[in-house]
Amino acid sequence: MFRSLLVPRVAVRSAFKQQSSLPTVVAPSAIARLSKRSYATEAEQDDLVVIGGGVAGYVAAIKAGQDGMKVTCIEKRGTLGGTCLNVGCIPSKALLNNSHLYHTILHDTKARGIEVGDVKLNLGTMMKAKETAVSGLTKGIEFLFKKNNVKYVKGTASFANEREVKVNLADGGEQTVSGKNFIIATGSEATPFPGLEIDEKRIITSTGAIALEKVPESMVVIGGGIIGLEMASVWSRLGSKVTIVEFLGQIGGPGMDAEIAKASQKILKKQGMEFKVNTKVMGGDVSGDKVKLQLESAKGGKEETVRHNHSGESQCNKCTDENMQIDAEVVLVAIGRRPYTAGLGLENIGLETDDKGRLVIDQEYRTKIPHIRVIGDCTFGPMLAHKAEEEAVAAIEYIQKGHGHVNYGAIPSVMYTHPEVAWVGQNEQEVKASGVKYKIGSFPFSANSRAKTNQDSDGLVKMIADAETDRILGVHIVGPGAGEMIAEATLAIEYGASSEDIGRTSHAHPTLSEAFKEAAMATYGKAIHY
Amino acid sequence: MASFAKACHLSARLTTRQLRQDAAARGFRTSAASMAAQNFTMPALSPTMTEGNIASWKVKEGDSFSAGDVLLEIETDKASMDVEAQDDGVMAKITKADGSKGIPVGTQIGVIAEVGDDLGSLEMPSEADAAPSSKKETSSQKLSEPKAEAPAKSSKSASSTKSSKPAKKQTKPLLPSVQALIHQKGLEQSDIDKMSPSGPNNRLLKGDVLAYLGSISDSYPSELSSKIAKLSHLDLSNIKLAAPAPKPAKKAEAVPGPAVEKDLEVAIPISMAQVIEVQQRIQKTLGVFMPLSTFIARATDVANDELPRSKTYKPSSDDLFNQVLGLNKVPSAGGARGNFLPQITALPGTAPTKGTKSAAKSADIIDILSGTTRRKVPTYSAKPGISASVNVFSVKVPKGDEKRAQVFLDRVKTVLEGEPGRLVL
Ligand SMILES: Cc1cc2nc3c(=O)[nH]c(=O)nc-3n(C[C@H](O)[C@H](O)[C@H](O)COP(=O)(O)OP(=O)(O)OC[C@H]3O[C@@H](n4cnc5c(N)ncnc54)[C@H](O)[C@@H]3O)c2cc1C
Repeated sequence: MFRSLLVPRVAVRSAFKQQSSLPTVVAPSAIARLSKRSYATEAEQDDLVVIGGGVAGYVAAIKAGQDGMKVTCIEKRGTLGGTCLNVGCIPSKALLNNSHLYHTILHDTKARGIEVGDVKLNLGTMMKAKETAVSGLTKGIEFLFKKNNVKYVKGTASFANEREVKVNLADGGEQTVSGKNFIIATGSEATPFPGLEIDEKRIITSTGAIALEKVPESMVVIGGGIIGLEMASVWSRLGSKVTIVEFLGQIGGPGMDAEIAKASQKILKKQGMEFKVNTKVMGGDVSGDKVKLQLESAKGGKEETVRHNHSGESQCNKCTDENMQIDAEVVLVAIGRRPYTAGLGLENIGLETDDKGRLVIDQEYRTKIPHIRVIGDCTFGPMLAHKAEEEAVAAIEYIQKGHGHVNYGAIPSVMYTHPEVAWVGQNEQEVKASGVKYKIGSFPFSANSRAKTNQDSDGLVKMIADAETDRILGVHIVGPGAGEMIAEATLAIEYGASSEDIGRTSHAHPTLSEAFKEAAMATYGKAIHY
Repeated sequence: MASFAKACHLSARLTTRQLRQDAAARGFRTSAASMAAQNFTMPALSPTMTEGNIASWKVKEGDSFSAGDVLLEIETDKASMDVEAQDDGVMAKITKADGSKGIPVGTQIGVIAEVGDDLGSLEMPSEADAAPSSKKETSSQKLSEPKAEAPAKSSKSASSTKSSKPAKKQTKPLLPSVQALIHQKGLEQSDIDKMSPSGPNNRLLKGDVLAYLGSISDSYPSELSSKIAKLSHLDLSNIKLAAPAPKPAKKAEAVPGPAVEKDLEVAIPISMAQVIEVQQRIQKTLGVFMPLSTFIARATDVANDELPRSKTYKPSSDDLFNQVLGLNKVPSAGGARGNFLPQITALPGTAPTKGTKSAAKSADIIDILSGTTRRKVPTYSAKPGISASVNVFSVKVPKGDEKRAQVFLDRVKTVLEGEPGRLVL
């Protein structure tokens, strides 16, 4: 049988190995390059093999290296840092910050006594600034790998068995890496919208949205969650006419407090973004020079927010309240992200995912094969970089010491629009549903001296505390600097603080954080300045 | 999940926490009681564990142990685990023997003393002290979902008249709200010591003072803590497993012919004679030995360039992301880079010929060997490694990709048999 001609790969490799006693003398550079391109020399077993070099993976690898473990991290992207550093948090924040500056200079200087001449956008340079931030940070991680003795293998990993992964190396060849422990941290990808094929030019995900070559004249964002609203903000500030279509009745996703979501929507609308909530996208047509989307009311036309939109056309017979059409130069699909485990060879080791594609784990991040753990976006919990990071540290602690800790009740969320929206703990809907009696204290930034002096006073701080014990259950902020301010709330929740504990703690004057203190005072007593 | 857990043998170091807490509690008792031993209770080894069986004790009464020693093995419906000690101590008494079943978490299973304690004069804590109390509950909050809201707990709070939770001396600075209340109500240090803290790490919260003062219900703060603690864990209940990955393609094929393989193999004989000649030439002129693997790797690399697109290729959204980012070479319209890696098997002396020309001429590609039409090659016997003459290079490909593999192998052959020298220039 021909089959018998095939020998196990390892045998072939070892045959190579015998011959590959390369001398150190290296002649033409080509040879030097080639000799590195080895056929997997069989390395010894690592203490830990991390698959994925995103936040979850690289933090786990560095932490393990610091603790003296022999660790290899495998990443296929070509750069470290995963979604967050390459196409997520970091590039999006670079664009958010600079587009905000541009927008401010364009619209918000006269009232401040600053007269600016010709303001021009150089999108290319703005993108370059973003890329510089990204490449600086990703290279920084590569440096940290070296510093902490983390071996970095560039390629795509796939489980061959419970102890070995095959890596399809990025520059050709294959390598087998074996380990005593494994951490799967393969992250997530944008959920595609059925019927709209992503080309990252006209139908884009966030990855295309951080890399558009010109400001589109119009943009429709499907999905009014955090990522959608951040990208909507960037392009709206740079001059695009942006419409956000959201299936649910509120923006910001289900975690956002309903009252805060409403307030945010109002503020963003003032900035020029158009919202269609309770609206379903039924399908699209990309054949014309604009993308046409078919919309339908998610609530059978009951919602008053659902309005007819013609984008210039004078008449449109088909359109009724329940059946609308909208067109745009670019459509951003931002309906969420889903775990990414393709090509990982899960089937080879019998690992299970749930109906949403999340790898199944226990409280210690173990799969049913206990030496294989899973952290970050590809498993349960909120898809956030800092959550991934916490899990990475905890997972290493579990491996090393048998215990670790992540408090999922105190993980903050931030939306980096302007003003920012941030929250931690439970929102009012959730507290209500849990049956706990609660008190609410809120304080508007319009009554905060610093916000006034900054001429930036949209928003409010809302605190929810247990009615009996005054223990803080959740804090929700929309306002300038909310993302920084939420750290104090997170600490308070971590320590079991009551609103009175915050109200009795000195906050510098004049700062935005006084609004936080006053909201606390309003929760257990009365705010002074409102 | 239960089935795998059953199979695995976990090691838990949970006693640490328990021992420390008990030790701490003990430290704060009055001096008379300071010789008392501590209850050793059924630990919660997993967030969901509510009761366990004692498989066997690994220490006897009177044995001393040191940190890391296995004290006993506990079984639950999910797993069996060793319980290790992290502090040194003496097993003063074992109250639940080997084989005891269904012991609720927090129930006394033994008594532990400190090294050097006189076991004879030791004051043994009563079992009631250990009844799963809400103290155990909060102390193991980190591990146990408060959903182990142990039925035992309610029975305890029913039996215990007042405090829902033993007092703990506060060692950290008091929270501002707590301080304020204490001053307002004229409370003293001794009052503080009697309060039952419900906060993280036994911190005394405003609610605990209010409960002590009777302004709110006694048990409310710890109930609220349990609710909050529940949120501190990932919710892994009600996991709906994805339907097992459908393998329709394979299944469909399996019907007509059961022996069908999912992947096809494409193989081709290639002579290494030319390569070896070049290898020797390089060694002579440059003094560098180039392993055959280098030639093959390079040939593979070259041959993988711009292959006809795979039939099975469908750009994933990830590919497209990468394209936009310029991270991947954008596959050009005509072809795409392959990532074939040939397996190589030497053919013994039966090499058709040494003459590379004629080998190339015969370009004798062994036919595409599908599962059903697999041809026998009985005269060749396998030999691992590379031979100096003819080797079989083969790749496995999904159905539909045979052409692509063939192009790849043909190229490898051309390069290795034709001008291998160019590979290393
Ligand atoms: C536009 C955008 C903005 C965001 N902004 C924020 C924010 O402001 N704050 C925040 O907290 N979060 C933000 N996020 C979410 C954040 O990026 C993720 O939560 C975070 O990146 C998750 O980290 P991870 O390590 O789990 O996964 P990832 O970052 O996705 O990393 C996984 C890595 O594994 C690699 N990989 C996958 N499979 C394999 C394999 N088989 N072999 C080798 N490597 C493999 C992938 O190439 C990837 O690099 C944002 C996301 C997006 C898309």
